[in-house]
Amino acid sequence: MKRMSQKELFSMINQFSFMLDEIVLFLDTHPDCQEAIDAYNHYKHLRCEAVSDYTEMYGPISKYDVNASNYWDWVNKPWPWEGECGC
Amino acid sequence: MWVYEKRLQCPVNIKETNAKLAQAIISQFGGPDGELAASMRYLSQRYSMPYKEAMATLNDIGTEELGHLEIIGAIVYQLTKDLSMEEIKSSGFDKYYVDHTLGLWPQAAGGIPFNACEFQSKGDPITDLYEDLAAEQKARSTYDNLIRLTKDYPDVCEPLKFLREREVVHFQRFGECLRLVTDRLDEKNFYAFNPAFDRVAPCVDKGKCNCNK
Repeated sequence: MKRMSQKELFSMINQFSFMLDEIVLFLDTHPDCQEAIDAYNHYKHLRCEAVSDYTEMYGPISKYDVNASNYWDWVNKPWPWEGECGC
Repeated sequence: MWVYEKRLQCPVNIKETNAKLAQAIISQFGGPDGELAASMRYLSQRYSMPYKEAMATLNDIGTEELGHLEIIGAIVYQLTKDLSMEEIKSSGFDKYYVDHTLGLWPQAAGGIPFNACEFQSKGDPITDLYEDLAAEQKARSTYDNLIRLTKDYPDVCEPLKFLREREVVHFQRFGECLRLVTDRLDEKNFYAFNPAFDRVAPCVDKGKCNCNK
């Protein structure tokens, strides 16, 4: 996913995350549904890859993924309520 | 524990300020059927919910609602940032501005402050789940009204449509929770005992049996 633009890659993170939000709620009331578990595993893998690529190229979206040497990158924009993703 | 992610569940990119719309939409920030009340309702109710599927659902929907609070906050913020004094006066935003400038504060569209009395946590699974089903429908109706007010402003209306759909999905999940709960109760009388409070059901053979339950 590294060949995507920042905007496209950010959008992929949002889309995979939303798939997981939806599947997780379904699994909460259907914890033995194999089809939903397979879908969860599928999108979890895709999301993980997209977040890892995005973090490496454009900076962290989670405080646990900050790669700081001499400046605390987390304070930098964009913050999501400001609109766009800084791309 | 929650971990913040620098993203909205649904992106918000509003091109033009509009203080009139902001004053209506703020109701979903701190109004009677808003996202703050929704999140606090489910996150409060989850502790005493005795069934694992319903407990997980309350936890995860309560968490998603916090994300929705953030989306509404972003909409109101983007609709009101860089307002001129002239726009503040002509749009009627002056009454909010005098107390909060352009800061976000949880209130209903009519100016009534957020109040925990807008939701209930009863400590009875059936009562709480019916409250949750009603809450999702009330929020859906509020979004229907907001969508009618904003239909000519697609960058405002689209995230509201997304949020409306989520109310419908949450209603479905809470309906499943209610069924999972009643399946574990006495089908002849769901209200025979409160499974979150009464440790055991009253003995059906009361009077003849000497178990004292």
